Amino acid sequence: MNSIFDSRILNLVIFFPLMVAGLVALLPKDEKGQIRAVTLAGMIGSFLTTVWAWGRFEVRSPVEFQLEYRMQWLSDVGISYHVGVDGLAVALVLLTGVLGPMVVLSSWTFVQERVKEFHIALLVLQTATFGAFCAIDTLLFFMFFEAVLIPMYLLIGVWGSEERQKAAMKFFLYTMVGSVLMLLALFAVYFLAAPAGARSFDYSTIYNGLMGASRELGAYLKANPGGDGAGLTPVALSLFRYGPYLFLAFAVAFAIKVPMFPLHTWLPDAHVQAPVAGSMVLAGVMLKLGTYGFWRFAVPFFPIAARQYQTLFATLAVIGIVYGALMSLAQRDIKKLIAYSSVSHLGYCMLGIFAFTAEGATGSAYQMLNHGVSTGALFLLFGMLYERRHARLMSDYGGIAKVMPVYAAFFLVVTFSSIAVPGTNGFVGEFLVLLGTFKSNLPMGFGVLATTAVILGAAYMLWMVQKVFFGQVTHQENLGLKDLGRREFVAALPFIVLILVMGLRPQPFLDVLNTSTERYIARAKYASGEGANDDAKVRVNVRQLPRVAVADAAVPAPAPTFRPVVSPDMVRPARPFQLQPLQPNLQQVRP
Amino acid sequence: MEKLQLFFQTAPVDATQAGHALWLIIALPLLGALISGVAGKVIGRANVHLVTIGAVFGSFLLSLLVFWSVNDFRASAPSPFGGIGYAVGADFGTWFQAGTFRVNFGLVVDHLSGVMLLVITGVGFLIHLYSAEYMSHDKGYWRFFAYLNLFIAAMLTLVLADSLPLLFVGWEGVGMCSYLLIGFWYDDPQKAYAGRKAFITNRIGDFGFLVASFLMVLMVESIVGLPADKLNRAGITGEQVSSRYGSAVAEKGPLAFSVLEETAKALPNLLDEKIVTGPLTGLTYELALTIIMLCFLLGAAGKSAQIPLYVWLPDAMAGPTPVSALIHAATMVTSGIYLFTRVSYLVVLSPVAMITIALIGATTALVAALIAFTQKGIKKILAYSTVSQLGLMFLGIGVGAFWAAFLHVVTHAFFKACLFLAAGSVMHGNADEEDVTKLGGLRKEMPVTWATFLVSTMAITGIVPLSGFFSKDAILHAAHTQHIAGYHGLQTLAWVMGTLTAACTAFYMMRAYFLTFEGERSKDAKTPHAHESAPLMTGPLVVLAVLAVVALVHGLPIMHMQRGGETVTQTLMENFLDPVLRTTNDLVAQKQFLELPHEHESMVGPWIQAWIIAIVSGALAFFIYRRFLPRGGSLQFLEPLRKFSFNKFYVDEVYDALIIKPITVLSRILHKVVDAVLIDSVAVHGTAWLTARTGAVLRYLQTGDAQMYAAVMALAASSGVVWAIFKVLP
Repeated sequence: MNSIFDSRILNLVIFFPLMVAGLVALLPKDEKGQIRAVTLAGMIGSFLTTVWAWGRFEVRSPVEFQLEYRMQWLSDVGISYHVGVDGLAVALVLLTGVLGPMVVLSSWTFVQERVKEFHIALLVLQTATFGAFCAIDTLLFFMFFEAVLIPMYLLIGVWGSEERQKAAMKFFLYTMVGSVLMLLALFAVYFLAAPAGARSFDYSTIYNGLMGASRELGAYLKANPGGDGAGLTPVALSLFRYGPYLFLAFAVAFAIKVPMFPLHTWLPDAHVQAPVAGSMVLAGVMLKLGTYGFWRFAVPFFPIAARQYQTLFATLAVIGIVYGALMSLAQRDIKKLIAYSSVSHLGYCMLGIFAFTAEGATGSAYQMLNHGVSTGALFLLFGMLYERRHARLMSDYGGIAKVMPVYAAFFLVVTFSSIAVPGTNGFVGEFLVLLGTFKSNLPMGFGVLATTAVILGAAYMLWMVQKVFFGQVTHQENLGLKDLGRREFVAALPFIVLILVMGLRPQPFLDVLNTSTERYIARAKYASGEGANDDAKVRVNVRQLPRVAVADAAVPAPAPTFRPVVSPDMVRPARPFQLQPLQPNLQQVRP
Repeated sequence: MEKLQLFFQTAPVDATQAGHALWLIIALPLLGALISGVAGKVIGRANVHLVTIGAVFGSFLLSLLVFWSVNDFRASAPSPFGGIGYAVGADFGTWFQAGTFRVNFGLVVDHLSGVMLLVITGVGFLIHLYSAEYMSHDKGYWRFFAYLNLFIAAMLTLVLADSLPLLFVGWEGVGMCSYLLIGFWYDDPQKAYAGRKAFITNRIGDFGFLVASFLMVLMVESIVGLPADKLNRAGITGEQVSSRYGSAVAEKGPLAFSVLEETAKALPNLLDEKIVTGPLTGLTYELALTIIMLCFLLGAAGKSAQIPLYVWLPDAMAGPTPVSALIHAATMVTSGIYLFTRVSYLVVLSPVAMITIALIGATTALVAALIAFTQKGIKKILAYSTVSQLGLMFLGIGVGAFWAAFLHVVTHAFFKACLFLAAGSVMHGNADEEDVTKLGGLRKEMPVTWATFLVSTMAITGIVPLSGFFSKDAILHAAHTQHIAGYHGLQTLAWVMGTLTAACTAFYMMRAYFLTFEGERSKDAKTPHAHESAPLMTGPLVVLAVLAVVALVHGLPIMHMQRGGETVTQTLMENFLDPVLRTTNDLVAQKQFLELPHEHESMVGPWIQAWIIAIVSGALAFFIYRRFLPRGGSLQFLEPLRKFSFNKFYVDEVYDALIIKPITVLSRILHKVVDAVLIDSVAVHGTAWLTARTGAVLRYLQTGDAQMYAAVMALAASSGVVWAIFKVLP
């Protein structure tokens, strides 16, 4: 049953942290306790809003983007404020919400300077991340995507360790390069996807517009392999000529964010220098913006180019998996080791995305959640140790299990999750990704090589565990370390619960993710010539933009040569503007 | 007699009910682990014992009940292909599902897993009891019992699972517990290392297991996609097979054992055909199946300590002795054999896989036995002996004598657990002295330990009529008489190695026995007098020793079956496993990859042979170690050989040099060269440097210096003029 709130939940999800940030800004800056408490309460509130959104998401509904909300905003340039979530997005929103309170708890005593600014940054970061996952308008997505950078830059640059400035700069520049490419590509598809007047940055307009061209191009390429594009309509011709470059522009932007080999070198530096909270958000949520981008934009927009580059990206993913694991084996610095393990784990996500099979894609989506939980937990736990000792090298520790038994037990559980022991969350994602890879059209070697990381993962994680926790206590100063306090215990326990729940009862999560997977696979395989093009399945149907008077004059009739892939009523609604929360947001679309 | 039979065949619980209660068998020890692990320190030692031992005992009682209902002739577990006879089971819903793949929480008990249940919970219970005393001085008791209970739960999951992925939960779960328990005394880096080595070696096996599972999915799905006429079988049309098969795959997932069994039934007609759909396109079904089985072999070799992955097991002796008895002798290490018996219907369709399994098993058996000759630690000897016995079981699997291999699993569980516990008792009474050359003369001082050790030694040596003889002889007999089509020569080799192993076993076990219990007490002993262990420790020893004897019943040819008009005599175990192995036997009869002997030979010959082998070898050990070398040591001219064997043929060193070192070096080089230099310095900082340089150069274009601008302009203009002049001039 729909409720009046449904179309507003996401606004609440996105802007609630920002409201709390406003509140925190009003607090006196010396009242550190108050600031922390308010932020924590805000994060918990924010978490509850995400749970609400998750609860209102209907798995059986045929609607792709649910809880949708759309309003006029910068409509002169074809932008609207348009949010909504599909299965993957709502899961990532929930993940972001879960991590929020833990992040605050993790920095409770760690951050002592500029406490107010720190917490405001965290809250703003939260809003930006939610926004990026919820945005359906591509430029809105881009804005949020960029907005994430600023608080993260500050988190690393202000509250980081010794070489924080350098790491923050590297992180910022790396990501910026990608962003510029993406922005250019976005403009290109904006102009490409619809005729003048019908243009819009909305996901539906761009996707549906490119869809027609892709279909035409797909049919053409099948009929004339190696053809020079003569006889194609202008849009399809452009896609034929520039599609691969546009795809690569998107792909590079997101590949940097993931990060994929060989664009990963910012990650270890950023992680090492970032404070605990920064590392947790970075690993837990921010990297998923990259994989999410591939899933939502890069591959669906350019299915033909994506398939063309499938082998390349799958190769890079496998290299990332194995290479990341080998790098981890060579580290002495614990945070670096965890960072490189992220490269390896994200490689699984990318491999699943580029396997183009349902198992692979669902596994990849689940792996995104798992990585958020287990790597988030690893950084959280290591942060506790770092706070006590301010040392990052394995050789600074040893025998910690003797002095901090509860801590060691927690760490061990998370380790097993990280190396995907069945029964923990990691296994389900990894298993599905690997299975999906084996089932895909990629050569068998991809699957086999990726599976070797099962061995390497155990090797580096357990090696680290042994160096840190086992043996005799080798440093005097480690003898007096205190075991977990109450606050730390509360911060860590949810992760342990999540690890077990997501390992033993993954199906509720997978059901939600499967809804997105089906569409993703249909879109990735679109226009491939395998079977009929299921237009009804891949077409993006969204709520109409509420009507304003100006829009009438602005939209001319489509050019006669252009295939009307965007039906005019999608841009120009028949009904006058009204609040339409009770309307089902499925559109009747003429093929 | 008939009444008694009827009593055993009428279970007090309904099969469905029993099936629905199966989860409890796993949940009890899991709960015990949770309580002991979380609150163990608070509730105290006695309560931890009560909870954990009680949990295992509860599981044992439930297992008995379930075992009883499995024997009920009415018992039938639900399966998408109709009921499975002599089994109870239930499906507890989806575990995970994506695309066309699914795994359910399905548990099933048939005769095979029923026996395993009893062994795990029964022996597990005894070992828990023993541990209560053995670990009575250890402060980490709560941790120990939590791990031990967790292990039992994982092992039970392994045998109860009705699909490969769920089995894998137990498979990795036992590996994880083994890791935790080997490294139980983690403040000793050596022990922590041994745990890690075990886990990682196991992981190499798990890699094989995973790949095999994935390939299996591909194969099953390629069969689902076949046209119906390819699936015609005697008595059932292809359409029926196809529709039932398809719905079963959708309902239970492609890796459920019931689906795999059906796959095996469909395969005989397909083996020579090429796969036409899916990623395996182009391979024949036989080749695909062989690859899958060899990958499973890698998995099983990891868990069951076979060449090339056996190296972790001897090191695993770093764990507390009860752990060695439970995990590294009786239960976990036999899961490879369990796995192959479970999917025996697939094994028998691939002769290449069979001969490989047989050869790997036989080689492992012999190599481990040769290493065991010279080891000094009593647990080390037993560990290599375990590797060697597991090798024999693999030999049994390889030659298609699944029941014999499985019988050996059971008898071995009894006598090897007893041997380990007795060894533990010896160490307990001798201030943790492990070295057999520093013990001696314990017969008088530890009578119960002595007696039980002796019985078990005779059992493992294969002296008639102890249980070890029947199981081991059944394997060797099968290796001699059942022929894998096309590999007679290699199989004879395997048989010879197996027989040699039997001789070696008698020798090294007798050596261990003589050095430990006979003769004078060694001068190097840590304590002048040993003391017998408490009843809580000797009790389990006695029970296990008795079991090691009475288990012989399973090996007696007392069952007479009507088959094909003639009366066939079977041993109890063979008969008992018949419902499990029925498909396998049918396939063997159909494909003839395995040539069975037509007549059962008299058992007297092998008995005498076994006696001779055992006595000659044992006597040799007696002469050497009682007469010539009562202190251990070696004969002069054999010293190089002894050293070679004592250092375990330097296998660890070879692995280190060939695998571990290169990977470590590779990772360092990649890190130093590729990551730090090529990517970060050259590409990333290089880009930054280039940008900065370009900026620095371009800066000179816009200095704001008017004179400079004028100068450049003038220069340009004048060169233009000069050029024009040269151009105009002829």
